[in-house]
Amino acid sequence: MPIKILPESVTNKIAAGEVVENPASVVKELMENAIDASARSIQIRVEGGGKDLIILSDDGIGIPIEEIALAITRFATSKIDSIEDLQRIHSLGFRGEALASIAAVSMLRIQTRSKDETEGSELICEHGKLKSISRKGFPQGSSFEVRDLFSNVPARLKFLKSERTERSRITDLVLYYALAYPHLRFILEMEGRVVLQTAGNGNQREILAAVYDVETARQMLEVNLEEQGYSIHGFCSPVGITRSNRRDIHFFINGRLVQDVSLASALVNSYHSYLMVGRYPIAIVFLKVPPADVDINIHPAKAEVRFADARAVSGKLARAVRLALLASSPAPTFNQTLWGSSNVETKEYEIFNPSQHDFPPSSETGSIEGITTPESNHVQAALGLDEHMPLLRVVGQVGATYIVAEGPDGLYLIDQHAAHERILYEQILDKRVQKKDMQLLLDPILFTPNARETVLLASVEDTLEEIGFQVDAFGPGTYSIRAVPAFMSRTFSLRIITDALHELDDEKSSAVSKEKEEVVIRSICKGAAIKGGTILSKEEQENLIRQLETCQNPRTCPHGRPTMIHLSVDILERQFGRKGSR
Amino acid sequence: MKLSVSQPQLAHGLGIVTRAVSPRSTLPVLNNILLATDEGRLRLSATNLELGITKWIGAQIQEEGSITIPARIFSDLIGALPGNTVDLTLNTRTQTLNIHCGTSNFDIKGIDAQEFPPMPVPDLQNGVELNISDFKEMIQQVSFAASTDEARPVLQGVMMEIGNNEITLAATDGFRISVKKTSLSTPVSAPVKVIIPARSLSELARIATNGDETISMVVPEGRGQAIFHLKDAELVSQLIDGKFPDYNAIIPRSFKTNTTITTVEFQKACRQAEIIARESNNVIRMHIQPQEQGPGIVEFSTQSEERGSGEVVLEANIDGPELLIAFNVSYLLNVLDVISTPNTILATNADNTPGLIRPVGDESYLHVIMPMHLG
Ligand SMILES: Nc1ncnc2c1ncn2[C@@H]1O[C@H](COP(=O)(O)OP(=O)(O)OP(=O)(O)O)[C@@H](O)[C@H]1O
Ligand SMILES: [Mg+2]
Repeated sequence: MPIKILPESVTNKIAAGEVVENPASVVKELMENAIDASARSIQIRVEGGGKDLIILSDDGIGIPIEEIALAITRFATSKIDSIEDLQRIHSLGFRGEALASIAAVSMLRIQTRSKDETEGSELICEHGKLKSISRKGFPQGSSFEVRDLFSNVPARLKFLKSERTERSRITDLVLYYALAYPHLRFILEMEGRVVLQTAGNGNQREILAAVYDVETARQMLEVNLEEQGYSIHGFCSPVGITRSNRRDIHFFINGRLVQDVSLASALVNSYHSYLMVGRYPIAIVFLKVPPADVDINIHPAKAEVRFADARAVSGKLARAVRLALLASSPAPTFNQTLWGSSNVETKEYEIFNPSQHDFPPSSETGSIEGITTPESNHVQAALGLDEHMPLLRVVGQVGATYIVAEGPDGLYLIDQHAAHERILYEQILDKRVQKKDMQLLLDPILFTPNARETVLLASVEDTLEEIGFQVDAFGPGTYSIRAVPAFMSRTFSLRIITDALHELDDEKSSAVSKEKEEVVIRSICKGAAIKGGTILSKEEQENLIRQLETCQNPRTCPHGRPTMIHLSVDILERQFGRKGSR
Repeated sequence: MKLSVSQPQLAHGLGIVTRAVSPRSTLPVLNNILLATDEGRLRLSATNLELGITKWIGAQIQEEGSITIPARIFSDLIGALPGNTVDLTLNTRTQTLNIHCGTSNFDIKGIDAQEFPPMPVPDLQNGVELNISDFKEMIQQVSFAASTDEARPVLQGVMMEIGNNEITLAATDGFRISVKKTSLSTPVSAPVKVIIPARSLSELARIATNGDETISMVVPEGRGQAIFHLKDAELVSQLIDGKFPDYNAIIPRSFKTNTTITTVEFQKACRQAEIIARESNNVIRMHIQPQEQGPGIVEFSTQSEERGSGEVVLEANIDGPELLIAFNVSYLLNVLDVISTPNTILATNADNTPGLIRPVGDESYLHVIMPMHLG
């Protein structure tokens, strides 16, 4: 079918929005186009994390010269004619939006020759302006060169993550697609180095080894279920391999990488009772469902779908996974590594690893001779020794920020914010608030995260729920918050959640990274803790100190900064010249 | 500028206007107070651009003029002077204000009054006349329910609607709603619907003394401001732009259980329970139990893993089925504090739907609180 502009009656019904959010989304769109063009081999080159250059070449059907200008026109596609076509399409593209969106924010060059032509053509487009179309000789297929992405949209550029993060996003994406299309050859070259090359021989385990590691790939269980026009195929981990979050659970639905929280829950639930609380399996599952049973037109980047009968799909998935688990006859193995990575241990490590946190260098806090901050006790503290604090008598508040207290051995200055952070943090981890008291909201707060935030949110939904949030999906791209943890009803702000998500995003996003929950909880404690500059009544000050006394690590906040400074009787006497003169 | 004022009056006036001085403004002139002669009186003004307060005090003026003076220094200094007459004289060339009182003599450097943001002059012709004590009560009953969440500025405000010779104030922080209606003694020419920062209204309630009799409120067209004019003071507040939640849609219309409790007893039960409850998320449980014969009982209970537990049992008139419901006790105390009738009604449906609290015999006020869900 030739490329033509869709009539407005059709475009009106297409979920429009931001298609190109980051370099990885460019790669995704170009890969999907190549797959639609029946390519056998896809070569991708990335430089500068994709910001500088992305080249994707395929050996697909190519684009005839008379249609090439239409390829970069918005809503021009060769893949559908009418909205009803969506019910039966098997192509990945249908909006005719991707190339137009990419062209608008980059320097784009397309070189292509269609299978019916003897001579190829080249199109050059700069920031959405068509510069030239010329005839040139090329082999059959297409090559898309995207330079200087977002150079004309500084705002977008600003929101890109570090090159490293963008690179790992691209690598993950290409890996997953390579796994989904094992009969195609993929070559990914990054900053001059080939990081992935697949044989295109249909062997998925070979590719799994690149996604995880050889040992994990070997152990992954195969999921297989064919039923009533549905096919569920893929891999899930045996019970011995777990993660502390759901980030390594992925789904392809009808050939598209899709985020689906309810499928992920169904999968996790199939492991019910096999895994310790807070541990999650890893999985990548490819579902094929009759096109009429799934709406792919709900998300601008096609990152989400809606099933006609979601329950049925979840049910089938759960069954497929359980079959795979049963076949492997699992016996729960609580091995050393599993226990070793439990919260308590890593918490200690992180708190006292100064290089990870921005707490002030000791020269700053320890500058007055004789004043001890917990930092000087790092090693001891890390070993869990002498961490408790003496009983304190509150004297008062200074600068609406610090609480002055007296102990048996001198004067204590307590940072109210840091102290409260510590209290909340331990309450959450201790599950002392696991009773999960929630303050319900009169009217749900609607929250529309962007695509990235949506992904992050999905990955920490369980954690949020554990803390006492009630967050539910509320239509495409929208979530509703119906309850907040009781301990933060006075301090709650939507910003606390978005901040937590962003903090999460800033963390290194490798597959086996540090614990997401911890990041989220720390961030939420920070947001919910009373701020410096808040005047506290004497009662509130006392209450804070009482609660701090019950903490396991009262001397540092969850980010590792000290909660208190101690001026010993000795130092007071010295400084006032009382000692020695007598 | 050259004038004399009485020290107590000046100190009092400064105490009022300095509330509008922003402590950390980057615009130096906003750290200052404007002093200006104004038709036989001395005008003091301060603004943080969101809230502006003006106060006029009696003065003997020998020479007209104006200047702005650093708020902190000026009010500290005036506060420390003896209670006599204070002479203020401006040296226009050096923009320095001389302050003379008894044997004290100070010179303070100021900033040209031209740099001070102009304060709007209200057209009092089109004002809405509000009875001071009524309006202060309204503010008191409503504004505490406003939010402090900067991410949702609309909820930091109080919705004010005037029409049909009636004024309604409403505020909500998402967990509770306060609504108060009062009829107006004088009809209004045009309906008003604005969102005023709760903080501005609290300031207004603080400045307005019952002796002032009435407040006239003016909302000039298209300015995004509301001006409240008192006998010798004025408060200008920026309005909050946005859509206030449709609170009427959230307030339940019918209830299964109506519980009438003596306000003072209710308050006492909450105060007692709060001592334990503040250790555990402020949770208070109310077990509302109608009895076959005679009045019913409400059992207030609280529990903290660390500190202990407690119950208070009250008699109450209960109409409807039994219910166990949990609330944030500080929300209950906040509303009970502003109810002045002897009895209070708590109307409820279920443990996860809003409860309504209102004074018995006073239809003008209602308060809705969302319960807590205990895990
Ligand atoms: N690699 C390619 N090989 C051959 N034709 C291509 C290739 N990439 C794009 N095209 C042609 O250009 C058209 C426009 O591409 P584009 O990606 O913008 O839209 P689409 O794939 O139809 O829909 P969408 O991107 O919105 O999912 C396609 O319909 C297709 O005809
Ligand atoms: Mg496409």
